[in-house]
Amino acid sequence: MSDISTEKYVEEAKRGIADPVLRKALSSLQDRFGRGTAEAYRKLPEGPDLRLKAHEIRERAIENLDVLLETLTAKIRQNGGHVFFAATAKDAVDYCLEVARRNRVRLVVKGKSMVTEEIGLNPALEAAGVEVVETDLGEYIIQLAGEKPSHIIAPAIHKTRNEIADLFVKKLGIRRTTDPPELTQAARKALREKFLAADMGTSGVNMACAESGHITTVSNEGNIRMATTLPRVHVAFMGMERIVASLDEYEIILRLLCRGAAAQTMGTYASYIGGPRRPGDSDGPDEFHLVVIDNGRSRILADPQFREMLCCVRCAACLNVCPVYGKIGGHSYGFAYSGPVGAVVTPLLTGINRAKDLFCGETLCGACMDACSMNIDLPRMLLALREKLAYGDANWQVEPAGRAEGLAYRGWSWLIRSRRLYELVLKLAAAGQKLLPRTGAMIRRLPPPMQGWTQSRDLHPLAETTFMERWRKRK
Amino acid sequence: MSLDTTDQIRFFRRIRTALGHAAEVPRAAGQLFAEGPSAEDLQMLDRIDKRSTTDRQALLERLIEAGKPINLKVVSVPDLAAASSAVAGLVAEKQPEWGEAKSVAAWRHPLIDRLGLEEALARLQVPLRVTQPINPSAGRECDQAERDRQRAGIIASFIGVTAADFCMADTATLVMRNRPGQPRSVALVPSIHVAVITLDQILVDMKELFALLRWDERFRQEGLSNYMSFISGPSKTADIEATMVHGAHGPREVHLIVVAE
Repeated sequence: MSDISTEKYVEEAKRGIADPVLRKALSSLQDRFGRGTAEAYRKLPEGPDLRLKAHEIRERAIENLDVLLETLTAKIRQNGGHVFFAATAKDAVDYCLEVARRNRVRLVVKGKSMVTEEIGLNPALEAAGVEVVETDLGEYIIQLAGEKPSHIIAPAIHKTRNEIADLFVKKLGIRRTTDPPELTQAARKALREKFLAADMGTSGVNMACAESGHITTVSNEGNIRMATTLPRVHVAFMGMERIVASLDEYEIILRLLCRGAAAQTMGTYASYIGGPRRPGDSDGPDEFHLVVIDNGRSRILADPQFREMLCCVRCAACLNVCPVYGKIGGHSYGFAYSGPVGAVVTPLLTGINRAKDLFCGETLCGACMDACSMNIDLPRMLLALREKLAYGDANWQVEPAGRAEGLAYRGWSWLIRSRRLYELVLKLAAAGQKLLPRTGAMIRRLPPPMQGWTQSRDLHPLAETTFMERWRKRK
Repeated sequence: MSLDTTDQIRFFRRIRTALGHAAEVPRAAGQLFAEGPSAEDLQMLDRIDKRSTTDRQALLERLIEAGKPINLKVVSVPDLAAASSAVAGLVAEKQPEWGEAKSVAAWRHPLIDRLGLEEALARLQVPLRVTQPINPSAGRECDQAERDRQRAGIIASFIGVTAADFCMADTATLVMRNRPGQPRSVALVPSIHVAVITLDQILVDMKELFALLRWDERFRQEGLSNYMSFISGPSKTADIEATMVHGAHGPREVHLIVVAE
């Protein structure tokens, strides 16, 4: 599995909040895509409720995952393609390494794919002496910079044109320019050479269709079409849940995917790949491999509380409306998936205790569910994760976190059931708060262990006399 | 490569167990896949069949409108001769992106063959490379050599001329199924892609397309082929400070010529 740094959530979030460039980029991204996607849903002939239909379609697909995957596999094999089933990230990576070794691959061109980030494909190929080039412009920029994607659809959203200009001068040896078309042209030129020289192309899978026996990839740049057309070998990586039964269902999912991802009615390129080049064809890969990945998904499938998460198509619409993502940015989430989708999926894939900050950090405001192209109840699952964390869960190997917190709440529950005691404590606190540092009338800092509460906000002091006291006096 | 059947068996066992089914027994498809067209499908097929020239003209207007925001240039021409001049016009006007010399790649396709591009381009002294189907019986090495030659030709071309199977008006999307002699790289690697279609190839949307591909006997056999492409306008990116730029990796320009005949 790729690097997981979910433990650094708080630290990274602080860094994100303190970065004015990132904040500006995120707010402009959310402004455009958040609104644009809502507008695009409204303009659907069926209206935004098409998302409810899509949810049903995806649920039915997940409930019949075995049948759909078997149907897809039979068709792809019949067309001369290979299908491999990988239980773990390592199995998937090893299979790809074996295909690369057998075909004497030296250069791989990659289409953007979050699942290959999840399984850590790039470092494994590089360790085997294979050059790997990301070809999505955003991914290419962050690969050159040695960073990680910070948004599922717009991976380089955190980079300014000035930073990109400096990077291209250093790595591509171009004359300095900050003009986006000129910078794009420089990358186009450099990557065209890579596409033409590559031995293997890799891609993700946006959605597969069992009935027709195809996987599909969608892109605006054309890089995935290049990577799946020009090299001798194409290896596609697919999370096992990315499938629907038939083309009429697929049609609904694709329309919503394009709207959720970029407020578009249709991505520039959608390719339906059912196998390798056929005899008589002059282009297309000689070999086509589909790697279907479990890597923890069957555990999600087995839990009725979280099965719904497998309906997700990774369009990233939830990132574009999330008030938390919009402030802290994608790097805080510490894994391939950021924003609300990451806050649910990452703990389920990498460990609930380990990634607890991700779902504790979300606000439960519900914006993600309204934006979700598949109408997934993300807030419900965020809460379910918090419940697992609070009480522990043997199935998910969750240690109940914060026994002190549990104790404090038990104390609170006991305290508020006694009117006398409660009022006494209030009185003591009202007297004690006079010792606390203030800004104007507001309390600036609470003493330990409550100091976190005033770390980035001031607190209203308790009233001198409580409401009940005033009420009694009125009588 | 081995089929790694043990991995596969275990994989499906895990899924069936997670879903609460017997782990060892493959389940039947049941009602998951339709055996025939629905009433809605039949209605749609009928509507496509009975579409009048006036209806088709209206669809063309819709296509032109949908093409505007995505920078797809649509021109409507009365006949093949006019289509041929339109292609020649682009070849004369546009400049190559990667080299000095102009050359054009075109599909071997009944509609493209009838354009007479060979002569039209000869007048401009621009060579035309027509992508012939590969003869698989010619032997492996011969086959590889011919494919390499075609690939080099396509890479050297600044304009690629293709036909298309359909065009969906609502999203201005060209639909191309893969066939020998019609390599997909012609619509991808050259800087400019010119597609030529006839008016009757325009459909409303994906619903109509999939109804035809699934249930119309004329298209059902070939289905989606092993590689079907949707192309909606030129390649684009907004990855640098969200500024829209055309020509990220695929063609910078896409021109669609609709022949009214």
